[in-house]
Amino acid sequence: MSERNRIAVVGLGEVHPPQGMSQRMSASEAARLAIADAGLQTSDIDGAIDLRRTGGGGDRASYSDTFTRFGGITNAQFYFTIGRGGALAGLATAAATGFLDRGLAKYVLCVAAVDDWSKAEESKKHGHRGMSHAEKEGYWGKALGDLRAASHHSWMAARHMAEYGTTSEQLGAISVAQRQWACLNPTARMYGRPITIEDHQSSPWVVEPYHRLDCSLISDGAIAFILTTEDRAKDLKQQPIYVSGQGFGEVNDGLWWEKKNLTHMAVPKARDLAFAQAGITLDDIDTAQLYDCFTGEVLLQLEDYGWAEKGGGGKFVASGATAPGGDGIPVNTGGGLLSNWHLGDAVGFAEAVTQLRGHAGERQVKDAKIALSTGHGGELVSPSMCSIHTTTILTAE
Amino acid sequence: MTNETVTPWNKPRPNIDTDSEEFWEGLKRHELLLWTCKECNASYWPKSFCINHDNEPFAANCEWKASSGYGRIYSMNRHEYAFHAGFKEDVPYFYALVELDEGPVISSTIVGEQPTDPIRDIGRRVRIVFEDHPDAGFTLPRWELVSE
Ligand SMILES: [Zn+2]
Repeated sequence: MSERNRIAVVGLGEVHPPQGMSQRMSASEAARLAIADAGLQTSDIDGAIDLRRTGGGGDRASYSDTFTRFGGITNAQFYFTIGRGGALAGLATAAATGFLDRGLAKYVLCVAAVDDWSKAEESKKHGHRGMSHAEKEGYWGKALGDLRAASHHSWMAARHMAEYGTTSEQLGAISVAQRQWACLNPTARMYGRPITIEDHQSSPWVVEPYHRLDCSLISDGAIAFILTTEDRAKDLKQQPIYVSGQGFGEVNDGLWWEKKNLTHMAVPKARDLAFAQAGITLDDIDTAQLYDCFTGEVLLQLEDYGWAEKGGGGKFVASGATAPGGDGIPVNTGGGLLSNWHLGDAVGFAEAVTQLRGHAGERQVKDAKIALSTGHGGELVSPSMCSIHTTTILTAE
Repeated sequence: MTNETVTPWNKPRPNIDTDSEEFWEGLKRHELLLWTCKECNASYWPKSFCINHDNEPFAANCEWKASSGYGRIYSMNRHEYAFHAGFKEDVPYFYALVELDEGPVISSTIVGEQPTDPIRDIGRRVRIVFEDHPDAGFTLPRWELVSE
């Protein structure tokens, strides 16, 4: 591990539900909670980053220009938006690292908010399902029937099934395992609602091969976290959780003709960089928070990181390896986007911090010291979807 | 082959911009245009640059050329929900990502004879069908299964 002054997560705030809260309100409340959690004052925050999704239902500049003013973050010397699809926390952390390393800020507030649930409810009144239905510049498919993330993300699962014989029941095992985790998490949306493989199989098709229970939730809520340097972190209220390694990958190295895109994610470069910085190997990871907009993404990442061989992910998850008490790797221990709630990679990032602090209650992974948190997203220009992959290694020591 | 509909367009409109305008004009003439390199004949879609050469100015060595219109299903799904009200009469529909013989991948629905299964029929041969919507001002590409 390098001798440099590492970056640490020192405050965490999470607001969800209630549903029906505006983004600026929930973002401000999450920020307030994170600042209090760190034992800091609002006036200590001298930089702010707004985690904004792009593509999909994300919109770029709605409340974003007002956040620091609305939230009373008056001492922020810089404030900007960052994000690529669901890849939010990983990018924000890397950006904040630059400012902190250079002495441009002492305490950076990162905040993300979402009101997809409210938007989807509004959309239903017009007879649609889901959020935005306007075709954006350079996009393809809405006029033809490629309408939402499930419309093209399900191609990944379909291609994996055709190529490797993966089954819907195996994807269901991912859904069931994460629901088991959610049932240990009192704040998860699906707490108290266990499911079986049979429930997964009998849940309606949304876009075959995806059943309803292969798809992530639509949520309202916000997450904020505070980053500072290791030397400052030691004096604060909470045990610092260190950002020990980060790496980034792009799957569209080969532009639109890169068909490997459908059965692989841009993991290798991101993983190798992050692992090398943290000085770890795969076996050192105690829990993995893998981006799970759909079950297929979890399957692909389990293979791409190396917990299973390519094509062998189905068997791996069917054995219960990722579930509570499993013998593989505890995955998405808060329930993930499938069963906890959805605010991009910020949900897994927050869960990783919670686990490493030892604050995860009944779902606590014993002696969790090293956590992986991944992000995924990007423009949905069919078929080069969600080309970014982010790897963040968080450590308790 | 033409597949003309007369109902008013009640779905999202496609994005047609300066990069894709010629492609959409080609569809109206029932040509599936691919952005093709004049030097090495490599094909791209959407408009891009040729990876095999220097590009000065950007993408200058390429032009739009008609595709054979044939390819294979690379991946596929079956939509059971109408996410947009305009698709209520269309569900369930098969939506396929097609790998053209020239290389690029383009997605659309399957018209005519329907596949039996979104997974098992991956790999099947298809060809382009042009669906004219003169009132809406565009022609849409669709795919149809062909036997080998
Ligand atoms: Zn060329």
